Amino acid sequence: MAQIPNLDNAPLNLNAIREKAQKDLLDMLLTIRGKKCLVIDPKLGGTLSLLIQFSRLKEGDVELRHLSAEPVQTDSSNVIYLIRPQLTVMKTIASHIQNGISKGIEKKYFIYFVPRRTVACEKILEEEKVHNLVSLGEYPLYMVPLDDDVISFELELSLKENLFDGDTSSIWHVAKAIHKLESSFGVIPNVRAKGKASTKVAELLNKLQTEDPVNVDDGAPEINTLILLDREVDLVTPMCFQLTYEGLLDELLQINNGAVEVDASVMGAQQDAKKMKVPLNSSDKLYREIRDLNFEVVVQVLRQKTTSIKEEYAGVKTTTEISELKDFVKKLNSLPEISRHVNLAQHLQSFTSKSSFHARLDIEQTILELQDFDSCFEYIEEMIHKQESIVSVLRLLVLFSLTNAGLPKKHFDYLRREILHSYGFEHMQLLYNLEKAGLFKRQETRTNWLSLTKGLQLINEETDTANPNDISYIFSGYAPLSIRLVQHAIRSGWRSIEELLKLLPGPHLDLKRGTPNHVDSFAGAHFDRVPDGRRSLVFVVFVGGVTFAEIAALRFLSSQEGMGYDFIVGTTRVVNGNSILEAIVSSSG
Amino acid sequence: MSTAAVAAEWQEIADRKYLRRPEIYSMQWGRMDLSRFRIACAPFGGPIAAIRDDSKIVQLLAESARRHLQIFSSSGELIASCPWDRPGGKLVGMAWTDDLQLACLLEDASVHLFNSRAEPVGPAISLGKEPSERVIMHYVFWGTGVACLTDTNQVYCIPDFKNPRPCQLADPGIDESDQVFCMTVNEPKAVKFGTPEVLLAVGDSVLLVGEYAAQTVGEGIGPIQKMAVSKEGKFVAMFTGDGRLLVALMDFSRILFEYDCESALPPDQMVWSSLDSVVLYWEELISVLVISPAGDPVRYIYDEPGILLIPECDGVRILSNSSMEFLHMVPESTVSIFGIFETMEPSAILYDAYDNFERRSAKADENLRSIRSSLPKAIKGCIDAAGHEFDVSRQRTLLRAASYGRAFCSQYDRDHFKEMCKTLRVLNAVRDIGIPLSIGQYQLLTAPVLIGRLINANQHFLALRVSEYLNLNKEVVIMHWACEKITVSPSIPDDVLLEALLEKLRLCKGISYAAVAAHADNSGRRKLAAMLVEHESQSSKQVPLLLSIDEEDTALVKATESGDTDLVYLVLFHIWQKKPALDFFGTINARPLARDLFIAYARCYKHEFLKDFFLSTGQLQDVAFLLLKESKLMEKNPMASKGSPLHGPRIRVIEQAQKLFAETKENMFESKASEEYAKLLRVQHELEISTKQAIFVDSSISDTIRTCIVLGNHRAALKVKNEFKVSEKRWYWLKAFALATVRDWDALEKFSKEKRPPGGYKPFVEACIDAGEKSEALKYIPKLTDPREKSEAYARIGMAKEAADAGSQVKDNELFGRFLGQNSGASAIFDSLRDRLSFQGAH
Repeated sequence: MAQIPNLDNAPLNLNAIREKAQKDLLDMLLTIRGKKCLVIDPKLGGTLSLLIQFSRLKEGDVELRHLSAEPVQTDSSNVIYLIRPQLTVMKTIASHIQNGISKGIEKKYFIYFVPRRTVACEKILEEEKVHNLVSLGEYPLYMVPLDDDVISFELELSLKENLFDGDTSSIWHVAKAIHKLESSFGVIPNVRAKGKASTKVAELLNKLQTEDPVNVDDGAPEINTLILLDREVDLVTPMCFQLTYEGLLDELLQINNGAVEVDASVMGAQQDAKKMKVPLNSSDKLYREIRDLNFEVVVQVLRQKTTSIKEEYAGVKTTTEISELKDFVKKLNSLPEISRHVNLAQHLQSFTSKSSFHARLDIEQTILELQDFDSCFEYIEEMIHKQESIVSVLRLLVLFSLTNAGLPKKHFDYLRREILHSYGFEHMQLLYNLEKAGLFKRQETRTNWLSLTKGLQLINEETDTANPNDISYIFSGYAPLSIRLVQHAIRSGWRSIEELLKLLPGPHLDLKRGTPNHVDSFAGAHFDRVPDGRRSLVFVVFVGGVTFAEIAALRFLSSQEGMGYDFIVGTTRVVNGNSILEAIVSSSG
Repeated sequence: MSTAAVAAEWQEIADRKYLRRPEIYSMQWGRMDLSRFRIACAPFGGPIAAIRDDSKIVQLLAESARRHLQIFSSSGELIASCPWDRPGGKLVGMAWTDDLQLACLLEDASVHLFNSRAEPVGPAISLGKEPSERVIMHYVFWGTGVACLTDTNQVYCIPDFKNPRPCQLADPGIDESDQVFCMTVNEPKAVKFGTPEVLLAVGDSVLLVGEYAAQTVGEGIGPIQKMAVSKEGKFVAMFTGDGRLLVALMDFSRILFEYDCESALPPDQMVWSSLDSVVLYWEELISVLVISPAGDPVRYIYDEPGILLIPECDGVRILSNSSMEFLHMVPESTVSIFGIFETMEPSAILYDAYDNFERRSAKADENLRSIRSSLPKAIKGCIDAAGHEFDVSRQRTLLRAASYGRAFCSQYDRDHFKEMCKTLRVLNAVRDIGIPLSIGQYQLLTAPVLIGRLINANQHFLALRVSEYLNLNKEVVIMHWACEKITVSPSIPDDVLLEALLEKLRLCKGISYAAVAAHADNSGRRKLAAMLVEHESQSSKQVPLLLSIDEEDTALVKATESGDTDLVYLVLFHIWQKKPALDFFGTINARPLARDLFIAYARCYKHEFLKDFFLSTGQLQDVAFLLLKESKLMEKNPMASKGSPLHGPRIRVIEQAQKLFAETKENMFESKASEEYAKLLRVQHELEISTKQAIFVDSSISDTIRTCIVLGNHRAALKVKNEFKVSEKRWYWLKAFALATVRDWDALEKFSKEKRPPGGYKPFVEACIDAGEKSEALKYIPKLTDPREKSEAYARIGMAKEAADAGSQVKDNELFGRFLGQNSGASAIFDSLRDRLSFQGAH
């Protein structure tokens, strides 16, 4: 199975987007004559692996390298850097080129920026006096389909830049990407946004539409509604441990670019030492079926499937009918899939069966329900004393601080001191940044978390994870805030929850766009269905990242009876609590 | 006009092939003697340039002795004139380029370009030093360049005036004694590699000279007096010394046609008329001879000398003192209608029917009936014929005939008729202003190019109407108009001019106001530029322009509004470079986005400068954090790392940070922490000296304590604990784990008995279990007070029964079992699943 997802079932023609991106990349390489060495930013390499087989890149005299601090050693006369426009990367490349000059190596250097060149990067090349030695180009890759219903803008640092640095580049990028989609699929008539970045994206979309108009007359738009949400609006959800199969895989094994890497022994292979890449996307039919289920249900499904195969195997042993054998062989074809997931699930089980895992889930639930402050506090205190990894400490701490609207000064200062004592004073900047961004702070106002949980029914005591009727099955009782907002946004717009929205950070906005007659037909609450009776398509964009659990919740919603819409998810990247906090920790060093 | 009268003007050259030369203009220039001038006529009905020929002795006729470059339209209307005062010696030759610039080659091998308003364009282009010192013997122009042959028999050329790179072609290898009779060129666009190939007639052969090689192609073909290459470089026509016209394939592999002109005198002009005939002109005889391989030659004699042949794609225009004629083959559709022997052609019958209809004759109906089945063909014939007419009334009659036929022919496609009407309206409009385009030329030239030409001729209104009429983008027209308007209106006040400009610019959605503004700025009207750029909707165009007109503040506002951080950076670097640091700080500090972006850039690249910025804006805590970062970098520096005295500077930097934190009111916590930080480094430093092990610096307080205990230095550990007021709770965790690490179980037990542990026995239990020491763990598990913890602990060391017993005491059973309960036993299930699947041998 390939890591590049199959997009034939996508509600939009995402294949066209991907093919264009492939072609642009190959064309770019073709324009440079002679032997070439393509040096790719490793993170970007991950993105490209979702787009194109690297063997195709290697056709036509191309060597592939990953960018590192070490200067590139190659026989090729052309060195092509394919990178994101990041300042630190520019310093690295400048040092490579200077190194080459000092050794008297003559090469032609090209830098291709993804998705576009920037003044700041060029400035660094200029300051390093190498700008005359390189040819600059652009590879305008603004998005990559992660699966048939998920598009990633691949802006890894979006949340951190918005929250901590005041660098809003990613907002512009997201708007640009959506605008590009609109130029293929029509102007989206309904736009709802919540959060500072999201409302800005909506405004920029309108601005881009005036600067570079998409023709509004070309038939009905394929996307009916755009819902934009800042991650900042709901940071609680990603701090919660994901309990869907896919979410758990991401939490425990980290899904990168649609694949997990595990020891080969986990997958039942003989050679233990080797790592093995397991692709995970909807091309795997079984995965498609179970990815969004609560993990405990997944176990049952797998058991049932295996049992049925076993029974048939027993039956087949006695049969002489060729047709029955044939049927059985057909079923056997699904065996690799079943065994793949049995292996993975068993591996996950080794984590989830630990009592510490349950203790943690319990505390999480207690924090979400805003009960027993002291035992939560002590639990976190103990984690610090035991010097558990700082990311997992922060994950609970941020959750704790968010639901409580901060900690009383005494507790706040105490925990901060304990953290610095346990993990080192170099984390001062980190704590200061978290405080400034409001993730871990001193309590100044009363918390409104209870009003939110009540108003949006976030806590559902009676959740049937096996036969769910509500998205709260995702977290075994907690319905993700972000998805509740989406539910309201499609059902009746922001108006009905205006008061609750005010309790969340950032402004909100409700826009009608496009030609006047379009606006008419979609006015009011009934835009579930487009006029000709097809299901309408809702594009939900998370600025700052989305978790697999939230994607699962959206898929669950659209599969519910009576729902006249499909979802397609757009995100700056797929995140979880750890990856969000790791980015913050490493940038605050 | 009766049909017969039309055909009376034609000259038959072969069966059903006729030539005609309708007069398109009678020239508007009054008395004119072309033979006194050097003339250059542009194809596609372009303008005519004239300079008095100073190589001839001419009588001055009521005119200034000073020579002028005059530019006329094709109808002889004077468009522009300027004194001819170019340095560089005598005019060798001139010609129009494809984009209607007049290229004049002077004696010193320099080329001067003029636009169609006789204004010089750019500096003169030289063909090079060598040719400038020699005599130019022959020259040849083409659509984009020129080539010339010097008296040293070398060929120099400029392939493209727009990208003037003079070059020398390969040495043709001609003896100085040999005479080159004539020269012509195969245009670069007709050649594979984009450089021209020049043909030279030397002796009795022809040389083909390319960029890298010269070769003899027409060996022994006889002395050639005149050559002409057809369009697209397919054929070459040659006039031999003995009066024959030869037409050969371009590669000289075959002579296709030969005709004896019976004139030893070579023609003065020889051109191709489309691909089907060659036209020759003898000044002495004032005679034009048309030779076509398909038929008999036709000769026209004129009254006055000075005739000029202007080759077009579909014929030749003939300019004389008094008229402009268009010599061309009569198109098929026209022949069908007006030809004397064509009365049975459907289109001729339709035309006749219409004529009868107009005269209210019943014969009309009869005519129509006779061609019922071929009516569409007849209609098409009439429409096509209309297209080829210059005479408006004849166009009208033909179109009416077509329209009459259409009334009886429902299935005829309307579009052809509509298109033709549109085309003719455009053609008639431009013919009215002296651009005699035929329909064939118009189709080859294309409407956008025509519009470009109209604009350059300052015919903006017509250009706009044509664009509107043909549904073409008006932007080019309006943009050009706006720029011209600014150029010619230096005395109109800014606000008045702005209004006038906006009124027109508004006509075109999405037009680039920035481009117009840039022109205004270049014309010295900065204020107008600022007013115009305000209207630009594309920030990426607006912002750079604002910077170029020194409107940094506005640029910063607009860049910020655009949301495009790249534009903000653009402005940022611009201001940074221009303003003194403090001004720069002040400007960006007022703009959060610019400030944050600056900080992000400077954090990565300009550390010291960033410190200055924070100091100037009073963000002391940020300076302090920068200092802390610096102190860490000092640690990484190998010079500073181990040799202990070097920790001194590092500690000083941290203390500096501490002071800065203390100065702000909000950062008491950080101030205290930095104080402890500095203290910790000192303590660690001392520990490294006393233990002679460099393992302490840059570990945390907790780690330091653990390291001390692991090393067995309990006193030091206790000292660190007291020095930093480490809580008892944490102390128990640290010590228990450290003792378990070194597996000092006795010490651990002793420690547990020192006093009742403040946080209970959990640290002891966990330390033992983590170390995998069940028996040790069992010492402490019974001491746990929380039954749930107890139960878990037993479970972890595999004592299920005890776990269950302890668990039974847990009240909150439901909570406990929520996840675990449903999954218990799952592990066993998986094992069995694996077994069951293994028969397949799958991975």
